[in-house]
Amino acid sequence: MEHQRCYIYELPKTEERSPKRQRTNRYNAQAQLPERLQTYRELWAQQEERIQEQDTLEKADSAVQGKIVNFISASSSMPDERKSVIPTGLIVAGPSIASHGPFFERLGRSIKEDAGSAYVVLTSGECPNLKTLLKNLIKKATSRVDDDDEDDLDRPATSSKHGPKLLNYDLGHIQEWNKRNRVSSIVVALQDSEAFDAGLLVDMIDLFHSWLDRLPFVLLFGIATSAESFEDRLSGNSLRYLEGEKFDVTQSDDIIEKLFSATVASTHVRLRIGPNISRRMLDRQKDHVQNTQDFCDGLKYAYMSHFYASYPSLFLKEDIAFKDLSPDAFEAVRNLPSFRQWVEKKLEQGQAQEVRSLLNSNEYMFEQVMLHIKSSQQALSTLSHAAQVLSNTREALQMSPKVRLSSIWTRAASGELSNSPLLRETMLCIKKIPSDKLVLLLAAMQQLEGDYFSMDISLLQKEIDKLLQTNDTNAPLRTQHDVRNDNLRTTVVAQKVLLSKHKAALSEQDKAYSDLVGRFYDKLEAYFDSAFIDPRTLFLSEVLVYDLKSPHTEVFQPKPRFAIERALASPHDYLGCDCCTGVDGNEAALSATQPATAIVYQMYLESGTLINVSDLWSAFNAIAGDGDEENESKTMAIFQRALAELKYLGLVKPSRKKTDHITKIMWKGL
Amino acid sequence: MVSTKRRRDDDDTDEGTPRKLRARITEEPPDEYEPFEAQTPSRKGRAQQLAENGTPRSILKKTGLANGIHINGTPKSARKLVFETPTKPTKDETPDGTPTIVRNADRSARRKSNRRILERALNGAESEDEALEEGDILAEQILAEEEEEEEDEVVEQAQQAAAQEPIPVPETPTKRGRGRPKGSGKVKKPRSPTPPTELPPHEEYFWQNRPGGTKTSNNTLSAQSLLNHDEYFQAMQSYRDRHEPEMQFLLELHSRAYDQWIFELDEGFNICLYGYGSKRTITEDLTARLYHHLLEQVPYTATKKTPRIVVINGYSAGTTIKDILTTIASAAVPTNVKMPNQPTALLDFLLEYLSNNPSSHPVPVVINSIDSPYLRKSPNPTMLARLASHPCINLICTADTPNFPLLWDVGLKTQYKFLFHDTTTFAPYDAEIDAVETVNDLLGRSGRRMGGRDGVGFVLRSLPENARELFRILVMEQLTLSFVDGGGLGEDEDIPATPRSKKVPQTKHVVSESSQGVEYRVLYHKAVEAFVCSSEVGFRTLLKEFHDHQMIESRKDAMGTERLWVPFRQEELEGLAEDLAGDAF
Repeated sequence: MEHQRCYIYELPKTEERSPKRQRTNRYNAQAQLPERLQTYRELWAQQEERIQEQDTLEKADSAVQGKIVNFISASSSMPDERKSVIPTGLIVAGPSIASHGPFFERLGRSIKEDAGSAYVVLTSGECPNLKTLLKNLIKKATSRVDDDDEDDLDRPATSSKHGPKLLNYDLGHIQEWNKRNRVSSIVVALQDSEAFDAGLLVDMIDLFHSWLDRLPFVLLFGIATSAESFEDRLSGNSLRYLEGEKFDVTQSDDIIEKLFSATVASTHVRLRIGPNISRRMLDRQKDHVQNTQDFCDGLKYAYMSHFYASYPSLFLKEDIAFKDLSPDAFEAVRNLPSFRQWVEKKLEQGQAQEVRSLLNSNEYMFEQVMLHIKSSQQALSTLSHAAQVLSNTREALQMSPKVRLSSIWTRAASGELSNSPLLRETMLCIKKIPSDKLVLLLAAMQQLEGDYFSMDISLLQKEIDKLLQTNDTNAPLRTQHDVRNDNLRTTVVAQKVLLSKHKAALSEQDKAYSDLVGRFYDKLEAYFDSAFIDPRTLFLSEVLVYDLKSPHTEVFQPKPRFAIERALASPHDYLGCDCCTGVDGNEAALSATQPATAIVYQMYLESGTLINVSDLWSAFNAIAGDGDEENESKTMAIFQRALAELKYLGLVKPSRKKTDHITKIMWKGL
Repeated sequence: MVSTKRRRDDDDTDEGTPRKLRARITEEPPDEYEPFEAQTPSRKGRAQQLAENGTPRSILKKTGLANGIHINGTPKSARKLVFETPTKPTKDETPDGTPTIVRNADRSARRKSNRRILERALNGAESEDEALEEGDILAEQILAEEEEEEEDEVVEQAQQAAAQEPIPVPETPTKRGRGRPKGSGKVKKPRSPTPPTELPPHEEYFWQNRPGGTKTSNNTLSAQSLLNHDEYFQAMQSYRDRHEPEMQFLLELHSRAYDQWIFELDEGFNICLYGYGSKRTITEDLTARLYHHLLEQVPYTATKKTPRIVVINGYSAGTTIKDILTTIASAAVPTNVKMPNQPTALLDFLLEYLSNNPSSHPVPVVINSIDSPYLRKSPNPTMLARLASHPCINLICTADTPNFPLLWDVGLKTQYKFLFHDTTTFAPYDAEIDAVETVNDLLGRSGRRMGGRDGVGFVLRSLPENARELFRILVMEQLTLSFVDGGGLGEDEDIPATPRSKKVPQTKHVVSESSQGVEYRVLYHKAVEAFVCSSEVGFRTLLKEFHDHQMIESRKDAMGTERLWVPFRQEELEGLAEDLAGDAF
């Protein structure tokens, strides 16, 4: 089977015992797996719903798509009028190339539905030259099956009816097709316009322009850089044939932000991802310009890992009953670090009796767990909400630098936010807030008022309204901390200049206003203080927050080269055998017991760019051979195999500089 | 060739005695007087030698400078003057009446510099660092010679010593350093023989790639030491890896993750396994596990139906995307549906069919070595990505090379939706690699592919007489060419004297790398002359037979002329020639 190219798997005859039996008597980490997976599916379905509705994928671009569709229908609405320019949409889709494909696909769907146009997407890969571009265009537009045998059947018919037969890159095909279908316009979208040859674009535009009297073309260009740089690439002549309009697509950064607040930083989430993992996911988005799909995948995998690997995750199941649980589940909870912390705290407080019953009674444990899951979830939601409040506050105050909600949340979740400079700065700003801004801020906050943010905003609003009514000047009210209420006084005493600050005398209104702001400030500070806890100190935080970086990083950001280099450079790391740790305590020394490829690889690392195979062989024979002439062929065989493996892994290539030499092409760790 | 031969004869007669003489001189450097006295009883010889050092040597020095390597010529001529009659210095140098040595030296200098320029043009990149090196050497030589003038006797001693040493093959640029007098070594910067350790990777790269940095020995593997397929498999059969239990343990570790992987597949991800070692065992086990897993599910329980899992061995030669698609189609689409022929159309059809008729579970597709050279080529990754992105396809693949993620850009990577797992197994790549073949390719010994000399003999025996004759001509021509190459360049006497010494094949190989083989035209004419064939068509037919058996190779050289050669090394070629001439076939 191993030398066959492709085949359908068939069970080997000999294998009678099903591997299922081995599973049942193995470790019980798999216990109640189906229930956990069930819970996972429920939770993920909720998240997916949120993603769908929040999304982004449909919703975020819908505005832009609507505009584009309107543009297309507007440009095709006057078919009788003879057009002299091709209507062109420049779609600035941003640098995340991965999301362009899905975007154009969705765009195509809405264009076909709403504008009644034909829609063809072309990518640079399939259009190396004008001829291929046209062929592809015709093929896609007319959805003609381009099979050679069918062509033969079609041709006599077409040629007899319409005179000479058309070449397969003649736009006449489209014209003919258009006669039958009567579309209002033919939209040609070039998904990655930067990758197209500039000359090809010019040719294409010229050609389309010359057909414009017969075919209603509309061009769409996907642009990853900027519309200006796109224009620079075209000649003035072809630009004259185009009538452009620019559309800015929502950038994936913003979409990610929305997704993040919906799926992670929202108050309704039952399982959250932790700060480490969310930081990683966000960094990956930023560094590798990935798309929203990837973010969702990462989130999904975090959920999967949580429920697959952790037994106590079962407690997240909605209305779980005591009878559904095996004693193992409680045992698992008792082993959680957060349980230990909690119990130790209880012991310090002298509640030994309670601790005893927690350890002994599963029923009591169950009650407590249920209780704490609720309260911890409440705390986490409050934290998320507070992050949202902080973010909105900063936005309302128009503070710079702009800090995204995702990073605020991540910092909050890692317990860094209380007493952080970011928070202090924001609070300071609130202290000095003038009345006009306060009104805006309160308005913004009113939307967030709810279970997790119970400040009486409306009361404050009433008060400030009252104050403002009495304010007869145009200037906004200021607090005592406002810089404008300070004035600097210079006095010269004994030829020395003394600078001193003095509070200007405050008006009655300002005093009242200062008092109001002071109260607001105190309340807000108290709220933030209570909300920004360190979630890791919560009991059952392991169940409610998934923050293990281990499978996540490796699974999404593998380091295959590092893995292979490590396997070859220190095989002991993988094999864990006793024999390969090095000779006489010297770790660097090559021992004969290492796998042959590892020995050859380490000699390879030591050598220069050119390697003499004959010398390599004698070195290898000195290490791995036993000095016996008769066994030399065996040593040679494993040497040959090792060398062939290095070649297969792409580490060496033949050299033509000298006989029996090979060239090194990879440097470890480079 | 006549002139070189004669010169060689001259050298032989001239140097018969002085060689030994010089040997003695070097043995006892402090007292160099006596050996001269044995030749020339008066002290005239010594005085003369000193006198001669002034003028005629400078001429030779110039030539030595011009070609940069002709230094061993210098002491020779100086020696000669010692025991010729002092009265006629111009005639002294020309035993035949013409100043051959000077002229030869000049001519060979021009010839050599021309050849070097040509060589550099042909070899391109590799000689660039040589050029650098050359400059250094030249500078060093000039310095060395200036010093030489000052302390002339001592250096001359050293030069004699140098000339006395067997000079290997001075015409390759890399070895030019050898001809330099050993005494001038003090100009050279002392270089420590051990490379610096603990360099960061990038520094190590530059250190190892510095111009003229690597000096490797000229040792070659003897033809017998490499194993052929039979020997290899025989040796491998008795070989037991001492890490067998550890490898088993690794496999066992990985096998614990199978259920997790199946869960991941169920959730719509695809799986990519990487790491050192063949991963076929793992995919096989995983496939079996998946098979049982599917067998327990709805459409298969209590029925005779079995799940269909597609397995593709990407490493096996000539795997195409079409094979893959057809196999998948055969698993997913009923046989009575007519499918398009073109791969792209087939893919479209397949994806559309799967969207319209989703099966109860996604079709599992296992691809071993998705990064194999056959699946790496341009449209394949894109098409596989489209396939993998479909929810009705579950892709499990393995990747062997360390840099495989470079195959996919961000867009493709998103489409693949891979989860990567490190599955280092340390298992040998038995099915993936043909070790013997790979090593032969690596060392440029593809001629061994068809069983070496015996294999050629076997093929030739089955061919008609004139084919054998043509092959004989080709082999003879190739041998002659290599001798001419070697003989024309190596001016020493050692080539005709010991043609099978170790150095000859090396010389040949290095020199003729770019102009290796016999020109197509030349061979054709030779063949016509020998009545092997009468037309080019016939000639081509004969050659094709050789090509089919991989007995000859052809390449266009830098000038665009086609060259043919038999891919064997010198020794084997000679053996072949003997066989052919001796009617062994």
